[in-house]
Amino acid sequence: MIEIRIHGRGGQGAVIASQVLADAVFQEGRYVQAFPAFGVERRGAPVMAFTRIDDVPIRIHTQIYTPDHIMVLDPTLLDVVDVTAGLKDGAWILINSTRPPHTFTFPDRYRVATVDANAIAVKYRLGPRNAPIVNTAILGAFARLTGIVSLETLCEAVRSAVPIHPEENVAAVREAYQQVAEEGR
Amino acid sequence: MKKVVTGNYAVSWGARLARAQVIAAYPITPQTSIIEKLATFCADGEMEARFIKVESEHSAMAACIGASAAGARAFTATSGQGLLLMHEVVHWAAGARLPIVMGVVNRAIGPGWNIWTDQNDTLSQRDTGWLQFYCETNQEVLDTTIQAVKIAETVFLPAMVVLDAFLLSHTSEPVDIPDQAEVDAFLPPYRPELKLDLDDPRAFGALVLPSDYMEMRYKIQKAMERAVGVAEAVDHEWGERFGRSWGLVERYRLDDAEIALVTSGTVTGTSRVVVDELRDKGLKIGLLKVRMFRPFPHEKVRQALAGIEKVAVIDRNISFGDSGVFAQEVRAALYRADKRPPVFDFVTGLGGRDIVPATIREIVDYTVAHDAPVEEFTWIGVKK
Amino acid sequence: MKKQTEARVITFTSEAEMPMMPASMASTLYNKTGSWRYMRPLYVNKTPPCNAACPAGEDIVMYLQLTAQGRYAEAWETIVRENPFPGVCGRVCPHPCESECNREHLGGAIAIHCQERFLADYAAAHDLGLPMPDVPQRGEHVAVVGAGPAGLSCAYHLRRMGYQVTVFDAGDKPGGMMRLIPEYRLPKEVLEREIAAIVATGVEVKTGVRLGVDVSLDDLKDYAAVFLAVGQSRSRRLGVPGEEATGVLPGIDFLARVARGQRVGLGEKVAVIGGGNTAMDAARTARRLGADVTIFYRRSRAEMPAIDEEVNEALDEGVRIEFLRAPVAVLTENGHVRGLRLTEMELGAPDESGRRRPLPVAGSEYEVACDTVIPALGQVADLSFLDAEVKSERGRIITDEKAATTRPPIFAGGDVATGFGTVTAAVGSGKRAALAIDCFLRGVERTFPDLAQNVQAAPRPHDAAVVRFEDLNTAYFEEEPRPRQEQRPAAERVTTFEEVNLGYGEDAALAEAQRCFSCGTCNECDNCLIFCPDVAVLRGPSDDEPFVFNYDYCKGCGICVSECPRHAISFEEEVKFAET
Repeated sequence: MIEIRIHGRGGQGAVIASQVLADAVFQEGRYVQAFPAFGVERRGAPVMAFTRIDDVPIRIHTQIYTPDHIMVLDPTLLDVVDVTAGLKDGAWILINSTRPPHTFTFPDRYRVATVDANAIAVKYRLGPRNAPIVNTAILGAFARLTGIVSLETLCEAVRSAVPIHPEENVAAVREAYQQVAEEGR
Repeated sequence: MKKVVTGNYAVSWGARLARAQVIAAYPITPQTSIIEKLATFCADGEMEARFIKVESEHSAMAACIGASAAGARAFTATSGQGLLLMHEVVHWAAGARLPIVMGVVNRAIGPGWNIWTDQNDTLSQRDTGWLQFYCETNQEVLDTTIQAVKIAETVFLPAMVVLDAFLLSHTSEPVDIPDQAEVDAFLPPYRPELKLDLDDPRAFGALVLPSDYMEMRYKIQKAMERAVGVAEAVDHEWGERFGRSWGLVERYRLDDAEIALVTSGTVTGTSRVVVDELRDKGLKIGLLKVRMFRPFPHEKVRQALAGIEKVAVIDRNISFGDSGVFAQEVRAALYRADKRPPVFDFVTGLGGRDIVPATIREIVDYTVAHDAPVEEFTWIGVKK
Repeated sequence: MKKQTEARVITFTSEAEMPMMPASMASTLYNKTGSWRYMRPLYVNKTPPCNAACPAGEDIVMYLQLTAQGRYAEAWETIVRENPFPGVCGRVCPHPCESECNREHLGGAIAIHCQERFLADYAAAHDLGLPMPDVPQRGEHVAVVGAGPAGLSCAYHLRRMGYQVTVFDAGDKPGGMMRLIPEYRLPKEVLEREIAAIVATGVEVKTGVRLGVDVSLDDLKDYAAVFLAVGQSRSRRLGVPGEEATGVLPGIDFLARVARGQRVGLGEKVAVIGGGNTAMDAARTARRLGADVTIFYRRSRAEMPAIDEEVNEALDEGVRIEFLRAPVAVLTENGHVRGLRLTEMELGAPDESGRRRPLPVAGSEYEVACDTVIPALGQVADLSFLDAEVKSERGRIITDEKAATTRPPIFAGGDVATGFGTVTAAVGSGKRAALAIDCFLRGVERTFPDLAQNVQAAPRPHDAAVVRFEDLNTAYFEEEPRPRQEQRPAAERVTTFEEVNLGYGEDAALAEAQRCFSCGTCNECDNCLIFCPDVAVLRGPSDDEPFVFNYDYCKGCGICVSECPRHAISFEEEVKFAET
C-alpha cells in the first residue's frame, strides 16, 4: 500500500489533486482511496489531502499518519507545518518551488525534488496570477518522480476531471513532468 | 460504469438510479454534497425529480411525507443535528407507513459542536419505526440506497441508509455504478395501497382511538419483522443481477473463531485488516458485521455468534447511563441462545476520533486478557 | 369519478380489517355536531355608509364591486337603475358618500365620484342605452312639471314602471338648473346625452310651458297624478340701495346667459356676493371671461356652503375671496355700477342654521370699485301658480315622506319642496315621488323613510344597519392611498371652458374600485369558506347566494363572523328550546 499526503493551502486544489491521482491510478487497475483532512477549511489556511493506493481492495478506513510520499503545493508552508511528520524513510518530498532541491535541508533519509509549478500554472493561465492553481502541474512532476502512474493515464484523468481549460491543464502536467528537478539527477 | 466517487455522491447516484421523484432536503455538513449533486442532476435534467428547497430538516421530511402520501417516491438526506430537528416527523413517516428513503451521514451530536462521525444521531432514531442500514464502503452505500427503496416500498416503512462522516461521505473510492435499465428492471415504480387522491378523498394521519391504535402499532411491528426476510430476498436478487450482495449481517472468518468482533460502518473494514493480521499470528478471531440494525436480525446474530467463546462489540456511540447501543442489542439477541458467550463492549471513536488498527488491537488484547467483562463496557482511547 | 365516502361508524374487530395506513375509511358526517350550536351565523348584507349617504340612493358598493371585476357595463347599469344622471352627478355631486366612506381611516375615502364619472363616460363611449325592465305598460298618465333633475328622474322611474309621462318645462330645453352648471364642470354633451337617454325611454317633454302662465294646476287634473318639480328659479335679492342699477346681474341669470352663449359685458372688475356653489360658478365663469374677480362673503371659510374643492379651484384660478364682508350699498354713476360699499362683519351667536350669525362691525364701512356686481345669495321658488289647497311654508311646498302635497294626487319634489339644492338630492326626490305615485295609483301601502334619507328603486336584500369602521376586520386591509385625479393646470383653465377635472382612466378606476372595503356586502373573498373549522360553509347555488351554511355541522363558533372582513355575516342566538 502506498499512502500519499498533499500539503497545500485552501484554494490551491490539494483535494482535487488527491482525487485526480486516485482516479488515474484506478484507471490503471489498482485500488484507491482519496480524501481530504477531515474538518473545516478556509481559503489560504494550511490543508491536507490524501491518496491511498494498493493492488488489492482497500478495506482500511482511517486517516493517513505515515505517508510514503508528500507533495507541498506552497513552499511557505514549510515554515508553518511539519510536512515530514510521520513520513517514511525513502519518501519523496516534492515541493512547488523555484529553488533547486539541494537548497532545502531535509534529513538524508528523504529524497527531495522541486518544480516551479507556479510558473507553469501562470504560463497556462490556470487560476489568477496572484493565486495560480498548481495542482495539476505538481501531479505531472509526481508521476515522473514516483512512476506511480503513467503520464498518459494521468493526462487523461486530468482531462476528464477538470471542468475548464482541460487542455491547458494537461499541458501543465506534461511540462512539469519534463521540468521536475531531482536531487542527484 | 466504474467511477471513483465519494460516499455522498454514491448516495446521490443511488437516489438517481432509484428514480426518486421528489427530493426535499436542507443542507448540513457533512451531508451537503449529497443534495448538491442531486440538485445538479435535477437542474441538468438527468433526473426527472422535483427538487423542493425547504427551510429546515423538519420541513424537508414534512415535504417528503406529503410527496410520499401522494404516491411519489420521495428521498432526502441529512445528518446529526438535522436528523434530530427532524425527529417528530421521522416518527410520522413511519406511523403513516410512507416508504421514504433517507441518506444519513453519521455525525456526532453537539455540544461540543462536532461535525465528525459517530452513531448517536441515527441510533437516537432507533425506535421510530425506520429501517436502518449501516454501510462499510461507498459501493455498499450506492447498492443499499437502491435496495432500501425496494425493501421500504415492499413493507411500507421508511428506511435510513447510514454512512460515516468523512470516512465515507468525503472519501473517494471506486464504485461500480449500474446501468439505469438494469436498476429499472430491479426496481419497479412505487405502488401505494392508499394515497392522496382527489377522486377518493380520505383523511390521512387523523385521530386513531385507543380501540384501534395498538393494532396500528402491531402492524408496524409485523412489517418490521417481515422486513428481515424481504431485505434478505432483495439483497439476494441484487446479488443475482449485479454480482454483489451484502447480507443483513456478514460473517468474516468466523467459522472456527473463538473471539468475534461485532462491528458496523467503516470500523468493519479496518477491523478486517486487524483480523487478518491476528489470524496470521494464530489468533482464532473473526468478525460479525451488522449491516441491518432495524429491524435487528436477532436470529442471524444468534446463529453467527453460537459457539463463539468471547464477543467484543465495538460501539461508536454511547447510551448514557448504560453502554454502547450495539452491545445492548447483541446481548439481547444472545439472551435466547442456548449457550451465551460473554459480551465485551467497547465504546470508542466518538466525535470522529480515528479508530485505527492499534485501537482494535487494544480491544482484542483486552478481550483476550479477560475471561468475562468486569464492567458494563470499556472505554477505549479516553485520555485519562 | 369521485367516490362518496360512507358516513358511518366502522368498528374494527381485528387488525386484519384495518387499513395499513392511518387513513380514514369512512366519513364522520353521521355525527351532526351542529346540534351543539347556541349561536347561528347568517349571511346578511348590511348597508354600506356610502349607500346610506347617497341622496340618489345609488348602490355604490355593488357598482364598485362590478368595476373591480372589470364589469363596467353592468356597473353602469347598477347606477342607472337608481339614477339616470351618473355623468352629471359624477362631476357635480358634492359626494356625501365619500365623507362617510370607511376607507377614510386607511388611506383616504374611495374617490366614488370619479368611479361614477368613469362608468358614465364608459357608457357614453360604448353608446349604452338605458335598459328598461320588461314590465307591462300601464294606462295611467302622469304629468311632471319641471324638466330639472327631480322632474326627469321622476319621469324616468315612472317610465320604468310602465306609466305614460308628460313633462312640462318653462324653458326652451329640458334640464333645469343643470343647464346653468358651467361647461368646465359639466360639458354640455354629457348633460344632453343623459337627458336624451331619458327622453328615449318614451317620456314626452313639452318645453316653453310655464305653470301658472301657459297652464294652470286645474288644467292638469285629467292626469292620474301630477308631480311638481319646478325648482327654485328666482335669485334672492341683495336688499341694499343701488340694486336696480345696470351692472347688477344675479348669478343664475349670468350663468344662464353664458350657458346660452350670449355675450355678457362684465367690465374689468367683478364683485361676486355669496359663498355657495352659484357664487363659485359665477366667479370662475367671470374669470374665464377675463375679469378680475373678488368674492365677498359675510361669514368665514368654515361656514361656506360651497363644495371645498370648488373653493380651492376658484382660488387656484386667481379668484380672490374676502371673508366677513357684506355689501351695504351698490355705488352707481349714471345708473351704472361703479363700486360697492361694504361693511366688515364679525360672527355672533349661532342662528337657526347652526352657523354663527354674522353681524356688522360698526364704523368699518369702506368702498371698492367694480364694474359688475353678481349677487349669488341663493334662490327661492316662484310659487305664484299654487292654489289654496296646495299648502306651502317658507317658500317650499309642504310634502310628506311620500312626496304627497296637501292636495292629492298632486306630489312635489326637488328644490321646490326640499330645498336641498343639489342635483343628486333632486334625482333622489324625483325617484321617491315616482315610487310613491306608483303606490298611490296601485293603491299599495308602503312606508317610506323620512325625507332626509334616500330611497332605492331596486334594492338588494340588505339589513338597514349601516356598517361602521369598527365593524370591519381591518386586519385584511392595507393602508392604501387614494389616487389623485388629473386636473387641467390653473393657468390653462382660466383661458378656456374645457373641463377642469379629467377623471380616472381605466387602470386607476379599476385599482380604486379594488381598494373598496365592500362594507357589509359579500364579495366572495372566501374567508368564511377557508376559515370554517367544520367545513360547514359551502358554495351556494347562485351568484345571489354565493355561500350557504350547512347547519348540520356549523357549531356556531363565530370564526366566520369575526373573519369576515366586511361584516356581511350576522350572528344570532339560536332558538334552541321550545317555549313551555
